Amino acid sequence: MRHIVLVGNMKVGKKGDVIVTYALGTSLGLMAYDPVSQVGGLLHAMLPLSRSDPQKAETNPCIFVDTGVPKLFKEICDMGGQKSRLVVRAAGCSRPLGENEMFKIGERNYSVLKKILWKNSILLESEDIGGTANRTVHFDLSTGEVAITS
Amino acid sequence: MSINVLIVDDSGVMRAMILKSLRMSGLPLGETHQAANGQEGLDVLNQHWVDLVIVDINMPVMNGEEMIDRMRESPEIKDIPIVVISTEGSKTRLEKLQQKGAAFIHKPFSPETIRDTIRDIMNLGGDDEGAD
Repeated sequence: MRHIVLVGNMKVGKKGDVIVTYALGTSLGLMAYDPVSQVGGLLHAMLPLSRSDPQKAETNPCIFVDTGVPKLFKEICDMGGQKSRLVVRAAGCSRPLGENEMFKIGERNYSVLKKILWKNSILLESEDIGGTANRTVHFDLSTGEVAITS
Repeated sequence: MSINVLIVDDSGVMRAMILKSLRMSGLPLGETHQAANGQEGLDVLNQHWVDLVIVDINMPVMNGEEMIDRMRESPEIKDIPIVVISTEGSKTRLEKLQQKGAAFIHKPFSPETIRDTIRDIMNLGGDDEGAD
């Protein structure tokens, strides 16, 4: 089944599913996959830290990197995945406005991600980060393959 | 095959960060040894079987470059792969290290860089398909 993940949202699934997200600009796209249980998920988080709007974070943790990433890992584990087996890939965190970007949202999203992964002892298997392009991600949960176009 | 690693750095915090990166990396890690300078590193190499040396450059007592020179002069340990992790910025010095067969990682480093560099110099391969 094909699922589309909108901004500030996430989707988990199993073998046979394909998860797609469009228009990854400054947002973080995080794809995590357990190749043994063949479950995985994709998060499209918009902003780095939930403390900027705790109420919104409570309603929808996927808007923020610091609340969305743990939620993604938890939901994959709830479906039978194991954190120690997760293959994690990242995309997005770009600067669509180039050097004129004032708030550096993309860079901050990436920094917060790396801190969370370090605390959880998880390394990125690959990343397609930065630049000025908007990206589209296709994540095939039958194989764990990630295709990124921009 | 598991890899026995020696980490040589005068900063205990840096040694701990490198060790954590190695443990996160999924590489087949065997015994790990630590030393605070080049001389201590050579002492460890004389007492233990080590497959990979990760070494800083600027350290008291004996710096990393001298340690590498001593290693290359010693037949028993001259072929051990070496990764230098340092803030060193001198191009000349980096070229000299590369001529001695050492791979170089600049501080501050990401744990992924350590994993990928070790995979590369130890010919361990890896699963790199996917994002491009």
